[in-house]
Amino acid sequence: MNRRSLLPLVCCFSFSSISWSAPATEAEQFLKKAVDEVLATSDRAANSSALAEKVRPILQRYISFETMARRAVGPGWRQFTPDQQRKATQLFTTLVIRTYSSKFTPGERPVMSYLAAVTPAAGRVDVPTKLVYQGSRYSVTYRLEQEGSWKITDVVIEGVSLIANYRTQLDAKFKSGGAPAVISSLEQSVSRPK
Amino acid sequence: MKINFRLLLPAAAVFLADCTSTKTATTTASATTATAATAGGTATDALDDYDAVQVSDPLEPLNRATFTLNHGIYNALFRPIAKGYTTVTPKPFRQGVDNAFENAKFPVRFVNSSLQGKFDRAGKEVQKFGVNTFAGFGGLIKQSDRISSLADVPSEDSGQTLATWGIGHGPFLVLPVFGPSSAREAVGLAGDYALNPVNWLFKLRGGAEKTEWIPSAANTVRSLPDQLEKYDSSRANSVDPYVSVRSVFYQNRKAATAQ
Repeated sequence: MNRRSLLPLVCCFSFSSISWSAPATEAEQFLKKAVDEVLATSDRAANSSALAEKVRPILQRYISFETMARRAVGPGWRQFTPDQQRKATQLFTTLVIRTYSSKFTPGERPVMSYLAAVTPAAGRVDVPTKLVYQGSRYSVTYRLEQEGSWKITDVVIEGVSLIANYRTQLDAKFKSGGAPAVISSLEQSVSRPK
Repeated sequence: MKINFRLLLPAAAVFLADCTSTKTATTTASATTATAATAGGTATDALDDYDAVQVSDPLEPLNRATFTLNHGIYNALFRPIAKGYTTVTPKPFRQGVDNAFENAKFPVRFVNSSLQGKFDRAGKEVQKFGVNTFAGFGGLIKQSDRISSLADVPSEDSGQTLATWGIGHGPFLVLPVFGPSSAREAVGLAGDYALNPVNWLFKLRGGAEKTEWIPSAANTVRSLPDQLEKYDSSRANSVDPYVSVRSVFYQNRKAATAQ
């Protein structure tokens, strides 16, 4: 698009990546640990659904599903009761794990290379990676946030953000029927055969 | 394949009428905009990190109908063809065929890199084409992946060129058979079709009675498994498949254009 309009953004990125390089390294180490652990486990899984079950506890350690669900719903999240928030997070967790694990064929190991991390804001780090998998090349960016410890809060594959995608879909549901509509649409998606 | 252009004509008409006016109305949920807002200190609501999504989709009812129709066509026609192709051919064979067709698409990437003033990239495309054609048996082996400066050259297409020239998406369109697009991207698609040598024989010689249609048809068949996989993954685990596919389309194109 317009290159000039991107210039302040680029400057901002390069400036902040210098001043926040310590957290960036920390976040990157955290991500590498998560990825290695997931890959080691997925190598041993027999099929995709077994894989989803096996990686679930690992992902729960490294991903903040609560933050993901909150962001995917947007400002409407405040109108959810604590029970509804729990329920939505739980359903969303299942969907995200399913989405994530469906991308892997057990036994086929992707080759990942980590590019220089950027710090869009304090307590946030984006780690871009290049992935070679089954003969194709992909760009995948992991977004991490500091919540006590580091947590993964979004995965952007080929420019498509997992959370932005759900945000678009859930926004319409929330506008039409509030929290119950969001929860029932998530329930439907979970129960739908893949 | 003649039908291709006929399908694109109405799109071009809408495009001409709409491309200038809808540019500002078209915004998509994107992580980049969210980041920009945060970095600039303008985000006031932490929960609104991913901005609410307003895409220009005035034809939504028609688009949804076409979307359903396409789903039927993919399942009834394309899926069996893709399944047949992947059953009778081994993976290395398909990889080679994909490489060769992608290599032949060189003019699409070269012309569009140049039209966007990315001459360095256009030069790299020439190198890639040379290396793959002469050292990779006519493109069957993607030798350029072994050369680090040529491994990650973002591929440019006509839609990205129009975007770089400042033309907005226009309204969202679900094209019959082709799937999600926009007025601008539909014109881009026609441009890519015209620039792809695979289609030249057919276009220059006309008529589908002899063998001129074979390269175009082969190109379609070999790309089906990949296309279907992408389609499936943008539908999978969605709350509303139509909205999900639309969102993936806009985010994808935005990222491709920004490169």
